[in-house]
Amino acid sequence: MKRFFTKIWAFLYRDLLTDLSYRFAFVLQLFGMVFAVAVFYFASRMIDPKTAGLDGIEPFPWILVGIAFQLYFATALYSFSEKVRSEQVLGTLEAMLVSPTPTSMVIFSSAAWDFTWGALRLVVYLLAAVFLFGVKLHVTSPLALMLGIVLTLLSSAGIGLLSASFILYFKRGDPVNFILTMGTTFFGNVIFPAKVLPASVRGVSAWLPMTWSLKVVRGSLLQGADLSALQGEILRLAVLTAVLVPLGLFASRIAIQKAKREGSLVQY
Amino acid sequence: MEYAIEGFRLEKSFAKKRSLKEIVTKPFVPAERIEALRGVDLHVRTGEIFGLLGPNGAGKTTLVKILSCLVLPDRGRAVVGGEDVRRENRVKPNIGLVHSDERSFYWRLSGRDNLRFFARLYDVPGPRIESRIDELLERVELSHAAGQRFSGYSSGMKQRLAVARALLHDPPILLMDEPTRSLDPASSLSLREFIRDELKGRLGKTILLATHNLREAEMLCDRLAILVKGTVRQVGTVGEVRRWGMDERQVRLEVSNWRDGIAGPFRVVSAEKLDGIHRAVVALDGDGRLNDLLAAVMAAGCVVHACDRVEPDLEEAFARLMREESAKGAA
Repeated sequence: MKRFFTKIWAFLYRDLLTDLSYRFAFVLQLFGMVFAVAVFYFASRMIDPKTAGLDGIEPFPWILVGIAFQLYFATALYSFSEKVRSEQVLGTLEAMLVSPTPTSMVIFSSAAWDFTWGALRLVVYLLAAVFLFGVKLHVTSPLALMLGIVLTLLSSAGIGLLSASFILYFKRGDPVNFILTMGTTFFGNVIFPAKVLPASVRGVSAWLPMTWSLKVVRGSLLQGADLSALQGEILRLAVLTAVLVPLGLFASRIAIQKAKREGSLVQY
Repeated sequence: MEYAIEGFRLEKSFAKKRSLKEIVTKPFVPAERIEALRGVDLHVRTGEIFGLLGPNGAGKTTLVKILSCLVLPDRGRAVVGGEDVRRENRVKPNIGLVHSDERSFYWRLSGRDNLRFFARLYDVPGPRIESRIDELLERVELSHAAGQRFSGYSSGMKQRLAVARALLHDPPILLMDEPTRSLDPASSLSLREFIRDELKGRLGKTILLATHNLREAEMLCDRLAILVKGTVRQVGTVGEVRRWGMDERQVRLEVSNWRDGIAGPFRVVSAEKLDGIHRAVVALDGDGRLNDLLAAVMAAGCVVHACDRVEPDLEEAFARLMREESAKGAA
């Protein structure tokens, strides 16, 4: 376990140093996040708070949490494959893969900084919402919130690994990522509640981890719901996570083996 | 262990890239394959520098990638440090890879930060990392540039940092794929001397050196294999490979009063006049004896100033092999 965290830390520190070397861009990104929150705030003022599916939550925090988590999901979806690609271009992938660190860990750890940065963006969004736009948070069960966040992270990583495996296996990925991102945005209760969709397609949302992630996070963060009130949603999210993570790991193992046979992992 | 690296009938082919149109219109037609290795046998002794010599596309890089667990062979078996390459977790701690790609570091990070990152990947124990990095930077003469960004390094410095990275976990076997390809002559010479004196001489590493630079192979390798179109065509010491395919000895004469036809039955390979003295290279093929040649030349009134044996050149041996290959191809 210590070895695992040492490696994760190595990747995190490397990417932190790299990002800090672009200081101006780093500051601009932080400023961009606050600006994005302002855009959501004013855009959400056009929405009627009585819209079905908002469950009594104000439109601004409802959308803010949705978009923040959707961005996090997109990070998970793209970061594994993009990191592999960028290491191939840099020429550093071979040097990493010839080290005693297992290939799956190299791929997994490569995305550690993106996940951390995604989490930081979430925090900045929430802090800006609270301190600049007066959003009130009602956390009565930190455990429920923590479970929601951890399960979201794991399920997103599972889908991210599946997507990266698809790219490694078929060497084509954009359509998959595009469909998953658009599908989640459309059916996952991200910008609008699934209840406003036609009844015939509304059922799709129940199969998406994002739907349950957002129910848990919005409930525990904005509505003051406790663990017992959210246990159904947490259970559904846990089941989806329990399927997606092993599936992602299994798929990545198959894809890495194939890439090794074909030699495509170290070719750009 | 007598052999640090062994390959048995190694075969590897790669599918040719297909266009999207081909994939859509002919989805069930298997992609055409390019054979990179066709039954390669290889035995590298512990502690030696073994050269893998061949033209571009001969399969050298594919072989190095198989031995470094980056690519799996289609057929055959490769054993590195006594372990099959399919058991990569046992092989990788024993190998270090230095390849020709000088980009293989993070350009925004310093040399030290780059090594620190790779040290963690290479399982160097935490408390040992800094001292190991200091030791290696000193060894590759980069201590003065440790805090400098990698992007500011010269090609020679980049390649020396790559050697330092390969040595981080102190592996007994080093795989080097054209390590001097992008270096200027002075940096190449310096790196070659480092490989010979430090890595082999002092540290006793076993080194597999893939190169198409004949001078490099001649300077460094104890033994070498010539790889052509995915097959090993010749294995031996540099001297053995040099003489390969030569069924004649050659001597160089420095004579005065040289004229055409005075060498009698002996074939004159070349003759040129410089400062009034002729330098002629004559072949003593078959039963031809040096005594007979000298007698013939002196009988023709020439004065012999010097006579020595011409050592066959690795470049010539390589060229002979290539000519033979193209003749085979034409046939």
